[in-house]
Amino acid sequence: MLQQLANGVFAGSIYALFAIGFTLVFGILRQLNLAHPAIFTGGAFVGIELATRLGLPLWALVPAVAAVGALAGVLLERVAFRPLAGRDDEHFAGLISSVAFGGILIAALQARYGTEPRSFPSGYFPNRLFEFGGISVTLMQLVTLGLALVLMLGLAWLVSSTPMGRAMRAVAENPRAAKVLGVNAGLVTSGTYALSSALGTVAGALLALNLGQADRDLGASIELIGFAVIIVGGLGSLWGAMAAGLILGIAEAMTVSYFDSTWKGLVPFALLFVILVLRPRGLFGAVKVREV
Amino acid sequence: MLAGYDTLITTIALGAILAYSFHVVLMAGQLSLGQAGFASLAAYTSTLFVPDQPLFGSLSPVLIGLPVGAAVGAAAALLLGLPVLRLRGVFLAIATLAFGEMVRVFMTNAEWTNGALGLRLEKWATIDLVWLILAVLTYLFWRLGPSRTGRAFAAVREDELAAGSMGVDVVRTRMTSFMASGAIAGVYGVLFTYFFGRITPGAFDFSMTVDGLVTAVLGGYLIFFGPLLGAGFLTAVPELQEALGFDAGWIHPLLTGVLLLAVVLYLPGGLSSLAARLRPRRTPTPPQDTAVDDLRPLPEPGSTVARVRGLGKSYGAVQAVRDVDIDLASGEVLGVIGPNGAGKTTLINMLTGLEPPTAGEGDVLGVALGSRGGAHRYAQAGVSRTFQHSKLFGRLTVLDNVLVGTHVVSRGTYGRRLVWLPSARRDERRATRLAWAQLRRVGLADKAGLRPATLSYGDQRRLEIARALAAHPTLLVLDEPAAGMNHVEAAELAELIRSLAEDGITVLLIEHNVKMVVDTCTRLVVMNFGEVIAEGEPREVISDPAVIEAYLGADETGEPEYA
Repeated sequence: MLQQLANGVFAGSIYALFAIGFTLVFGILRQLNLAHPAIFTGGAFVGIELATRLGLPLWALVPAVAAVGALAGVLLERVAFRPLAGRDDEHFAGLISSVAFGGILIAALQARYGTEPRSFPSGYFPNRLFEFGGISVTLMQLVTLGLALVLMLGLAWLVSSTPMGRAMRAVAENPRAAKVLGVNAGLVTSGTYALSSALGTVAGALLALNLGQADRDLGASIELIGFAVIIVGGLGSLWGAMAAGLILGIAEAMTVSYFDSTWKGLVPFALLFVILVLRPRGLFGAVKVREV
Repeated sequence: MLAGYDTLITTIALGAILAYSFHVVLMAGQLSLGQAGFASLAAYTSTLFVPDQPLFGSLSPVLIGLPVGAAVGAAAALLLGLPVLRLRGVFLAIATLAFGEMVRVFMTNAEWTNGALGLRLEKWATIDLVWLILAVLTYLFWRLGPSRTGRAFAAVREDELAAGSMGVDVVRTRMTSFMASGAIAGVYGVLFTYFFGRITPGAFDFSMTVDGLVTAVLGGYLIFFGPLLGAGFLTAVPELQEALGFDAGWIHPLLTGVLLLAVVLYLPGGLSSLAARLRPRRTPTPPQDTAVDDLRPLPEPGSTVARVRGLGKSYGAVQAVRDVDIDLASGEVLGVIGPNGAGKTTLINMLTGLEPPTAGEGDVLGVALGSRGGAHRYAQAGVSRTFQHSKLFGRLTVLDNVLVGTHVVSRGTYGRRLVWLPSARRDERRATRLAWAQLRRVGLADKAGLRPATLSYGDQRRLEIARALAAHPTLLVLDEPAAGMNHVEAAELAELIRSLAEDGITVLLIEHNVKMVVDTCTRLVVMNFGEVIAEGEPREVISDPAVIEAYLGADETGEPEYA
């Protein structure tokens, strides 16, 4: 029971880390970025590549992967979103162009790494097991949870207490007014995608580390759960995505222990569905003002 | 010759059918992604009904499965739509996506479906049958375009508020497109299952949804043959690539991605818009005679059009409008002026059904204020309006914008167009005459084929008025129609409003241009801070010291000018 709870927390921390990038872009730019799962997958492969070729240890691997992710985010914004700015169907077209960008990215990964799963070098990370009052936890799980927490709290701090964060919030509130007041909206937009993608790639690398391997469906497998997390938490709410990630992770783990594991997949969607129908702004989302 | 290509050709048709189930919701501006769920439910249900022997010795048993699939798909869409169609945009997309995933998990776990392994079935769906169904669908969408229903879809897609104010029942239109999508997805599920002779829950997953959406967008959802083009292209790419000798597995997804990106960035209307562009652009020609003589007569001058008492609206602690009484008699031109934030727009939003009042009661042309059903009920009763920030239908031509306005004074033509009844054509011509008459009236007849965005600001305002007039309104509500017009245009507009009043149309005019209000209105109401502070004959009202203090500024002297 407690063991399941712990497993749920670890799974949930990866869900949250994945979803927080999703929700950051939506919250600030009102754009659902469907290339995020592909970026996540890319993070896993880049992590494996860097660990295998350069033998980077984990403390250097994470920033390196994040840097590659940030670059990918800037590229994504330039290619798939910026050309659409100001168009009537900007948000819908952005949805489709991000699907296209994601497809291209996955095709590129396939070209380089093939269709077979790739693994981290054996013994890359010490396989240590800890016991706390009947719960067994691997060192990897602890590192994952710790990193996820540090990154999420760091992001929350960045958004709430730095000049960059203030500019981001200004753009979220009213892009035109922000521009008039001298906020460099282009920079904020690029920065948001860079941050979001950096978090996504790190989340991908962490999941691959936990699984020991990655294949090109890694992102697709977590994409739908990511939707559930951001809706349950309230689209655009950072704290909501963190909480909802943990809630869903725990709820899934509990389902496995009480029901058949094949029903696990139903939990996030049933929860998401109920939330959307009863409380579309999510558990922690702000009230949406209707425009007339 | 074609023998080896059976599967390929059928794949094109199946892809197009799936894309139509997305096309129909995108046409109405709804991003619905529940098609995988509808298709799965329909296909599994049909396996319970499809007999295992050919019908009458020779007919394909799928002919039983198709209506079952369509009915199950539509019914599932109705049941899902009731709770989720309140949602918009990404919220709707994600809710419907969640439905699809729940169906998949359910089917994987149910006993009778044989779980993830699925069921083996006879391959009853032949290439001919699949193409026949696709031909029927294409025909249905071809006839839909220039019908009243097709215009309602387009209007809801472009602007729900404006569509509702033109008398389109937005909730019903969205539900109709949603159910049509469910029915088509159901048909797709049945055909897919019986073509490949196998059904598994995994066939109806998220990637199927993405494929359908991509095909629909690539082909373009503004023109009826878009799905066909999209499916043809997506299926042809890997074939072409094979023929050219590139057979690495990653080239296909790469090409698809690049193609899709290029279309989204450079060809917003999809591939079908390219095909339409090849045809020389037709400028619509006006009919000689624009008379329409079967419109209902306007009420007698002096009879009551609207009567409200104690009308109020508060947003939380903010009282936007309080305790307003309005009486409006037929043939009047009532002006409402007041400083910004005085509550003028909120007042007319309540009178036209866009917002329910929080206090007071009354009725407009017999529709009680605050009654359920939305703006279209007011429009059907004879209220027509323009908006302060123009809400034109951006992807429709000027003429089509005005044609949407005829919605409440014309009959549905889609069903009759399907069977080519001459009366449908007569009704469409009548609507067109009505629309042209309004374009002439506001002086836009020579711009009928343009898009609204290419018009000057003043022309856009006049187009909104033409669209509102096409509904043959008893009460015309104009929200700052002269805003942004120069003084020549404003003078022309004043002339137009006076001529409408002479025709017996009752006008409610909100305006900042005081001279224009004084020149056109028979009565004037002045609002400030949500309350009526003066009312009466225009010239008397504007010389009232309280009004000058509140609105014109205390130091204002002399004759007001056209701004």
